[in-house]
Amino acid sequence: MDVLSNLALGFSVALEPINLLYAFLGVLLGTAIGVLPGLGPVATISILLPVTFTLQPQSAIIMLAGIYYGAAYGGSTTAILVNLPGESSSVVTTIDGYQMARQGKAGLALATAALSSFMAGTIATFIIAFAAPVLAEFALDFGPADYFSLMVFGLVAAVILAHGSVVKAIGMILVGVLLGTMGIDVNSSLPRFTFGVPQFGDGIDFAVIAMGIFGIGETISNLGRTEGEREFVKDYKGLWPSPRDLKAIVKPALRGTFLGAALGILPGGGPVLASFSAYALEKKIAKDPSRFGRGAIEGVASPEAANNSASQTAFIPLLTLGLPASPVMALMVGALMMHGLYAGPQLIAEKPELFWGLVASMWIGNFLLVVLNLPLVGFWARLLTVPYRLLYPSILLICCIGVFSIRNDALDVIVASVFGLVGYVLTRLQCEPAPLLLGFILGPLIEENLRRALLISHGSPSVFVERPISLVFLILTALVVLVLVLPAIRSGREKVFAEEAN
Amino acid sequence: MNRRQAIGLLLGTASAAGFGHVSGAVAAEDPSKYPTQPVRVIVPFAPGGASDFAMRLLQAPMSQALGQQVIIENRTGAAGNVGMDVAGRGAPDGYTVFFGNVGTVSINPTLYPDMSVKPDKAFIPVSNASETPSALICSMKFPPNNVKELIEYVKARPGKVNFASPGSGSVDRLEMELFRKATGLDMNHVPYKGGAGPAVADILGGHVELMFVTLAAAMPHVKANRIKILALSSKERSPILPDVPSVAELGYPELVATSWQGFLVPTGTPRPIVDKLFQAIVKAASDPTVKQRLIDGGSTASASESPEAYKAFIEKETARWTVVVKESGAVPD
Repeated sequence: MDVLSNLALGFSVALEPINLLYAFLGVLLGTAIGVLPGLGPVATISILLPVTFTLQPQSAIIMLAGIYYGAAYGGSTTAILVNLPGESSSVVTTIDGYQMARQGKAGLALATAALSSFMAGTIATFIIAFAAPVLAEFALDFGPADYFSLMVFGLVAAVILAHGSVVKAIGMILVGVLLGTMGIDVNSSLPRFTFGVPQFGDGIDFAVIAMGIFGIGETISNLGRTEGEREFVKDYKGLWPSPRDLKAIVKPALRGTFLGAALGILPGGGPVLASFSAYALEKKIAKDPSRFGRGAIEGVASPEAANNSASQTAFIPLLTLGLPASPVMALMVGALMMHGLYAGPQLIAEKPELFWGLVASMWIGNFLLVVLNLPLVGFWARLLTVPYRLLYPSILLICCIGVFSIRNDALDVIVASVFGLVGYVLTRLQCEPAPLLLGFILGPLIEENLRRALLISHGSPSVFVERPISLVFLILTALVVLVLVLPAIRSGREKVFAEEAN
Repeated sequence: MNRRQAIGLLLGTASAAGFGHVSGAVAAEDPSKYPTQPVRVIVPFAPGGASDFAMRLLQAPMSQALGQQVIIENRTGAAGNVGMDVAGRGAPDGYTVFFGNVGTVSINPTLYPDMSVKPDKAFIPVSNASETPSALICSMKFPPNNVKELIEYVKARPGKVNFASPGSGSVDRLEMELFRKATGLDMNHVPYKGGAGPAVADILGGHVELMFVTLAAAMPHVKANRIKILALSSKERSPILPDVPSVAELGYPELVATSWQGFLVPTGTPRPIVDKLFQAIVKAASDPTVKQRLIDGGSTASASESPEAYKAFIEKETARWTVVVKESGAVPD
C-alpha cells in the first residue's frame, strides 16, 4: 500500500501543470533530437543543463528524463523511414523496420514502434515503482566475471542477428571487436591502433560508425540504384495496425519489455544491448526465422519495447544507489548535484516528491509520446514521397551535424565518411552491419571484464565457473552454440549433397 | 532562455564551437577593452564529471563578473589530452581558456610523453578554482575498520588484497602508490575506466576491497552508509565528516594531496587580460552559492592568491607527481 500512496504523491507532483509542461517539452525535444541522427541525448542534455538551474529540481529532472526516453523513441522514426538509426539503440530497428517501409508499410511500422514503446514504458514504470531497491541490489551482485560471461553470451547470440551467411556474420563480429580495441588500454596506458592521433585515444564513438555505415553508406548504395529500384512502394495500405497486427505485436513486445528491463539495470549495456538481444530472441523463437530481415513486424515490436524499457530501468541504479549506468545517467547526477542533491537511497527518503514524481512522469511522458507521435505517423510516412534527389542531401547534412556535435570535432565527420565507404562495400558484399556494431560494443567490454576478473582472482580462471551468475551465462552460451552449430552442420551436409546431386 | 541558448539547442554544440572560431579574427584588439565577445572555456572532460560540475557552477558568476557570456565547450578524449591540445592551439587573446586539472596539467606529461602539447610551455596559469581531497574507502564486507587494522590485515595477506582505481595514471591510483610506499603494503591493482562510477560500484558490491577516490565521488555512498571511509588525504579533518581522520594526523603527512581544477590560458595572452580573468575567477569562486554547492559535493572553492602563486603551485604539483608516476611504474615504455 505504501507504494500506492507514494505513486499517488508522484502523480500529484507530475500532474502539476508546470511539471506537465516540462515533461511535454522534454519528450518533444527528445523526439526531435532522436529524429536527427547523431545528435543524441548526451549533447542535448549537456546544452540544457545550465537552463535547468533555475527550475525546481523535480521539474528539471522530469524534463531531462523526457529528453532521454523521447530520444530513444524518436530514434526509431528515421531507422524505419530511411534506414538511418537516429540513436544507437535503434540500430536493430533498421533491419526489419526499413524493409516494412519499403513494402509500403511505413505507417504500420511506426505505429508498431509507438505502441510497443508505450506498452514497455507502462510496464517499466511499474517495475521501477515496485521493485527498484531489490533490483538495484541484484545489479550490485554482478562482478566482473559475471559481466564477462553475460557479454560472451550476448556476442555468441549475435550470430543469430544475421539472416545470411553465418561465416560472414562471425567475420563482421570480429571486425567490430577489432575496431572496439582502438584507444588507450586501461591496464597498461598504452595506445592501441591510435596512429598517433590523440582523438583516437578513446577509440571511435559508436555513433560515428553507425552514422557512417548506415546513414552515409546507405545513401551511396541508394544513389547507385536506378530511380525505380530506389523507390518505395507508394501505395500506403494499412497505416494503422489491424486487430491481427495488434495481436502479432503484443507477445513480442512483452518479451522485449522484460528482457529490456533486465538488461537496462546493468551498467554498460543498457538500451543498445537490450534491443539487440530482443531481436535475436524473437528470431530464434520464431516459427519461420527467414521472415526476419524481410519486414517481420516482431522485428520492430520487440526491440522497440526493449530499448524503451531498458532506458527507463537504467534509472534504477542511479536513483537507488547513486550509480550512473551510462553517460546520460552521469549527466543526471550532474543535474541533481547542481541543485545540491545526491542520487541514492537517502534521496528517496529526503525528497520523495522528486523520486516518485519522476517515476510518475515516466508514465506520463510515455503517454505524451504516443499522443505526440501517432498523429505524426501519416506525416512521417508521407516524407518518403519527397524525391530522393532532395532527400539525400538533407540526410547527409543532418548526419554531418549530428556526428560533429558528439565531440565538437571535425575529425569525426571524416571518420564517419570513411565508414560510409566501408558501409557501401559491406552492402555490396552482402555483409550485414548489425553484428559488426554489436561486436564493437561488446568486444571491449568482454576484454575489460575478462582482464579485471582475472586480476581480482589473482589469475585463476576458475572464477568464471565458481560464481553462480557467471556459470549460468556460460551454460546458456554453450547451449546457443549447440543450437547454432547442429543445424548448420546438418544443412551444410544437405547443401553438399544437393550440389553433388546437381 | 536567451537567444544564444536557443540556437545552441537547435544546432547542438556546433554553435558554441562557432563562437570560438570567430575569436581569431580579432586577436589584435585593445586588451584593456577585453572582453568584447563570449569567452570560450574548454573543459577536457565529459559533462557531469568533476571538472564539468565545478565549471558549470562557476559559469554564471564568471559571466557576470566579465560582463560577457562564458561558454563551456566539452572536448573529451585521451585522459583530457584532446581538450588540452585544442586549448593549447587556441589564439592567445583571452577568448580561449582551458579548465585544466591535476591530471591533465601535472600527471599526463609524464604518463604520455608523446603528447603534442606540453602544458608548462603552452599555457599561462591564471588561478585555481576548486579542489577535493581523496578518500580511502572500502567495501562494507572488508573487515578492517581503520587504517591501523587495514595495515595489519594486508600485512597478513601480502598480494591478496585488491585495490581499484579509476585509471592507471589517475591521482587516486597514485595516491594509493604513495600509501603503499609509506606503509610497505603489497596489494594488487585493478584499474577501471569511465570515471570513478564503475570502480565505486564494484566496491559497493564487494568485488574489490578498497580504493582512493575523490571525496566528491564517495560522498553520496558515505551519506547512505554503504561504504566505509577510513581516511581523508587532507591536512585536517573535513567539517562535513568530523569522524574521519586525516592522513596527516595518522602520521603520513607525505600523503596529503588533492585533486584540483583551475584556469589556464594559451601562452602569449596579454597580462591585462590574464589579470581581468583572474579577478573574475576570484569573484566567482567567492560566490556564496558556488561555495556551498562545492562543499555539498565534497569539494572546496580555492582561488589562487595571484597568477604567479598558481604557477608556483602547478610547478610543485608537477614535480611531485612526476616522481610518483615514475616510481609507480605507470609510465608506458
